[in-house]
Amino acid sequence: MLTTVTLTLLEGLVTTLELFVLTLVFALPLGLIISFGSMSRFAPLRGFVKTVVWIIRGTPLMLQILVIFYGPGLLFGLPLLPRFTAALASFVINYACYFSEIYRGGIQAVPRGQYEAGQVLGMTRSQIFFKITLLQVVKRIVPPMSNEFITLVKDTALVRIISVYEIIWMGESFIKKGMIWPLFYTAVFYLAVNGILTLLFGWVEKKLDYFK
Amino acid sequence: MKKRLLALALALGLTVSLAACSGGAGTASTPAPETAAPETAAPETAAAGSDVAYVQDKGTLVVGMTDFAPMDYKDESGAWIGFDADMAKAFAADLGVEVEFLEINWDNKLMELEAKGIDCVWNGMTLTDEVKSGASTSEPYCNNGQVVVLPADKAEDYQSVESLSGLNFAVENGSAGAEQLDALGLSYVAKQTQADALLEVASGASDACVIDLLMAGAMIGEGTSYPELTYTVQLNSEEYGVAFRKGSDLTDAFNAFWKEACDAGTVLETATAYGVQESIIEK
Repeated sequence: MLTTVTLTLLEGLVTTLELFVLTLVFALPLGLIISFGSMSRFAPLRGFVKTVVWIIRGTPLMLQILVIFYGPGLLFGLPLLPRFTAALASFVINYACYFSEIYRGGIQAVPRGQYEAGQVLGMTRSQIFFKITLLQVVKRIVPPMSNEFITLVKDTALVRIISVYEIIWMGESFIKKGMIWPLFYTAVFYLAVNGILTLLFGWVEKKLDYFK
Repeated sequence: MKKRLLALALALGLTVSLAACSGGAGTASTPAPETAAPETAAPETAAAGSDVAYVQDKGTLVVGMTDFAPMDYKDESGAWIGFDADMAKAFAADLGVEVEFLEINWDNKLMELEAKGIDCVWNGMTLTDEVKSGASTSEPYCNNGQVVVLPADKAEDYQSVESLSGLNFAVENGSAGAEQLDALGLSYVAKQTQADALLEVASGASDACVIDLLMAGAMIGEGTSYPELTYTVQLNSEEYGVAFRKGSDLTDAFNAFWKEACDAGTVLETATAYGVQESIIEK
């Protein structure tokens, strides 16, 4: 029985992990672009990006999932996105906005002198960003990013609202067969994934320890 | 309804502005990964409103349902069977299309229908006012009632509606059973599914629950997962129907199909196979 349940839950875990990995693949670069927008010297762009970030961070992710999946069909009679794609799109947009603020914090925390030093050496703006700022930003954002990564693993549970069969859905399906423990057993899988992430982030922090 | 539409409109405006924003980002706005996740068939919209044509065009009838013995459940090999599932297969064959069963979040069934995530809700669904006003419903095909389930050793004391007042109930959120308890002024804990409500009683967290008679017949008592439970008072009688999109011509197609299947004896035969022959409504 334990084997059957474990295999079923692993099936759900695959979907959970797919969502987790793909969200990061798209949201990490998108977040950086959004952070540039929110630091832009062109005021209308900055205002627009900040408004979007406010809306996305200010509304529940669950609502965003519902809107992106059902919205097109309900309002315009358009064909729906595949369920997983709709879930992924909601996560990418949502997490990119959170990431953008973390990037912004990291970028703005780099001392002014670092830019000036680059200028003195005759580097261009993009050279300064990629060769001087970026690595320092990476070091600074590791702790807040580890928070977001871990939250993301657990947030994937929300997508069962649009019938994407992730691990909690799989666990709940056993309740109909009179077994409640598989639902709680899912915690083991979340803990394992987040345990690995925690170790990974610890290792990264150590690696970046060689400069202040 | 109006409020919901307004909220959706606002929220969609939000999404559109986002799409505009992330559009500049290139890759991120159009992720289309290969995935094993369930997908709804999403072809071009069918011509001028005929739902039958729409379904035949795409070649599949997507049936929204939940795991709900004896109407829809999985056999050992993982295929969907049950009275509703088997009749849905027959209906799809009648339309000349494939059937696709999709487990949905029951709270969202009307939204799924309207947004074309599914083509019908066919899952031992009670014809409540909510369903009748939010969808196009078939003629009733099965009788049902809401019954009180409690541990067998306590059943003797609770044989009438009046005796129920001291009990703590569990019931599926927004279900026909919840409506009955509301009408009687009894308080309850709302659960996600009827099975969750049963579990509340089995674990002792609640004294009793209210579920469908058909489900009680199949899921509790000797030889089932819940041998120590039984059911006593029947609170009402009601009927099951199939829901289609508002204004859909699939409803008429279904009613015609059902009549034919009754005449041919298919309905009675299938019902007998799942032990619900007492409840079916023949046309």
